[in-house]
Amino acid sequence: MSKTVTLAHGAGGRQTSELIHEVFAAHFANPLFTADDAAVLEVEAGRLAMSTDGFIVSPYEFPGGNVGKLSICGTVNDLACMGAEPLYLTCAFVIEEGFPMDKLEEIAAAMEKTAAEAGVRIVAGDTKVAGKGQVDGVFITTTGIGRIKEGVRTGGALARPGDAVIVTGDVGRHGCTILLARNEYGIEADVDSDCAPLWGAVDSVLSAADDVHVIRDATRGGVGTVLYEIAEQSNVGVRINAESVPVDGAVRGVCGMLGLEPLYLACEGRLVIIAPGEEADKIVEVLRQGKYTAGAAVIGEITDELPGKVVMTTEIGAETLLPQPGGELLPRIC
Amino acid sequence: MSDNKKRSAKEIIQGYSGPKLRIMEVCGTHTHEIFRLGVRNILPENIELISGPGCPVCVTPVGFIDEAVYLAEKHNCTITTFGDLIRVPGTEKSLAGARSEGARVLPVYTPTDACRYAIDHPDEQVVFLAVGFETTTPSACMAVKMAAENGLDNFSILTANKTMTNAYRTLKGSADAFLYPGHVNAITGADSCARLVDEGIYGVVAGFTAKEILAALAVTVVKLQEGKPFFRNCYPRVVTDEGSIPGKRMMEEVMEPCDSEWRGLGVIPQSGLRLREEYAAYDARKKYDLPEIKGRPNPACRCGDVLQGKCTPADCKVFGKGCTPLHPIGACMVSNEGTCAAWYAYRKETIDE
Amino acid sequence: MCVGLPARVVTVKNGMALVDASGAKREVSAELLEQLDPGDYVMVHAGVAIAKITSDDDEEADALLEELL
Repeated sequence: MSKTVTLAHGAGGRQTSELIHEVFAAHFANPLFTADDAAVLEVEAGRLAMSTDGFIVSPYEFPGGNVGKLSICGTVNDLACMGAEPLYLTCAFVIEEGFPMDKLEEIAAAMEKTAAEAGVRIVAGDTKVAGKGQVDGVFITTTGIGRIKEGVRTGGALARPGDAVIVTGDVGRHGCTILLARNEYGIEADVDSDCAPLWGAVDSVLSAADDVHVIRDATRGGVGTVLYEIAEQSNVGVRINAESVPVDGAVRGVCGMLGLEPLYLACEGRLVIIAPGEEADKIVEVLRQGKYTAGAAVIGEITDELPGKVVMTTEIGAETLLPQPGGELLPRIC
Repeated sequence: MSDNKKRSAKEIIQGYSGPKLRIMEVCGTHTHEIFRLGVRNILPENIELISGPGCPVCVTPVGFIDEAVYLAEKHNCTITTFGDLIRVPGTEKSLAGARSEGARVLPVYTPTDACRYAIDHPDEQVVFLAVGFETTTPSACMAVKMAAENGLDNFSILTANKTMTNAYRTLKGSADAFLYPGHVNAITGADSCARLVDEGIYGVVAGFTAKEILAALAVTVVKLQEGKPFFRNCYPRVVTDEGSIPGKRMMEEVMEPCDSEWRGLGVIPQSGLRLREEYAAYDARKKYDLPEIKGRPNPACRCGDVLQGKCTPADCKVFGKGCTPLHPIGACMVSNEGTCAAWYAYRKETIDE
Repeated sequence: MCVGLPARVVTVKNGMALVDASGAKREVSAELLEQLDPGDYVMVHAGVAIAKITSDDDEEADALLEELL
């Protein structure tokens, strides 16, 4: 096969079939991966969750993962947030002409590995090739279906005063990793993306706790954005303790140099979990035994004050609003 | 031990019961930290903190953005800048707006990175937007010297650099005391502000951590109560009496004083810096023979009054309505350090949206 | 203005210092300081070491407040 992806690979002919067989089918092989127009699936009766997401990241590989791993984690985690065990996934690729074939292989391999870990099967796919410059490297869209665990009902509108606010690990590492990987600011730090599939963690929390109200994946916009979304959807106040928010030292250093706030940096493997206060210790304890959630911590609580707002208790014991996130994340220097 | 001290700084401030005190911070990072920490929310009613003109983005006039957009669009220059300036509205558009229409606008961490970009991209004409006070200006001077040493003909800077001393004189009546910007004094030295006592201008040099800000406020409150002229360096771990002699020398060598327009305050004589004649080749205004561009700020915006403590952001008609961090009208809403942006972001009092 | 970050000096060479702020590393200019050695702590602003740091903010605040008592 050629060393780069060409427009012919997207033309539907022999090269397309070669690309699909040698790269995708080779990695995604499972009895359900279809060669037909659609995959045919058996599903047990019950409630299903379904989600779709597009993945564009520059650079497409970074410490701790690549766009392939990200495309599986993102959708698997979205399903997990609804209490759904991920079952099936489809993926659509838009590949830039000239993209190196070996890199495409690496991306497919990462997808296979992550899907296997998350227990999800890739059942259908699509490949398009766009002309040079029309896309940046490779864009992947994944769509997933999951089976919601019996008796589980989670949602952004279900937070109640008295609930505890938990994060499953240190915040902002993915965003910081990407910022560094772009190498625009000449800063180096030993930071890996937190990108990880989290169904296992969610499953263990749902098994251990009697009641969980909200689980949300803190991706774009970071934990700060998620807290505002929940405050608004549930019409409650959120109070967090600034000093309880776990932040990796190097992430803090990078943020310090560039005047950024870690609470607004993206995560790809961090959940915000909101559950009745009396469940908090149990949940944190279970999470701390998990592979990707050892840094879990309670960072605050849900209140009935200032609905829709996030209030922060600061290191001098004063209260202030957490600024509403928004706009392009730009370094503040002068 | 230190916790007791921290409380006692807070206690001094909270225990104040005399006549109203007006203290002005003149550093955007102070404004930012004071809001982030919630310092205003622990002050007694008779201590007012005013956020003065200390954020370079906020005092940079509209016309400067217009000049940068002009260079990007008419001369196809690559604009390099601190991220802070990208969303500042110009008369027609911001640099972000120009970028969405195809202009090249790159945020950089330091001006010498902009110069290095010019070295690596000889086919592009690179302009760095030099804003900032004495803390930041030496880095712009370094970039110019680096360009000269490398014989570059594709690098220049658009200056809007400012110096603080005459601004304190202009603002003298706006507050009882200043919290001087510690990182400016790191370069200019504590002495530069100590000398102002003779002119009836009082204040303390303040650091930026929670402890430093509270300690500086506590000292200011006590000194104001004593009612005598005062100056105190409350940031001695970073600020020396004379400051950075190499830093001052570098500014002196590359730049010279000029009159400068401060957004909202008007022209303050000898409060700006421009490149000296021997570095004229790196002065974007001369290199591109820029026409005089007069910016037209939105007339409803009261950034100027806000910067002088004549009104609070809440007194401005467009604050929180037409003017929000996502759609800023005035510069004070653009930078996270801007007074209006900080009010909008951190104030617990409900804002009518 | 003037975001500043304390950082430790790792190496100094040709007027540049490699500094480390709790794991974030970057080359910055050392030109504004007359003498700089590895192990020193500096305040970094926009890629320039603008001052040496001589103690921590605890000690500094304690000293200031003691004076007021």
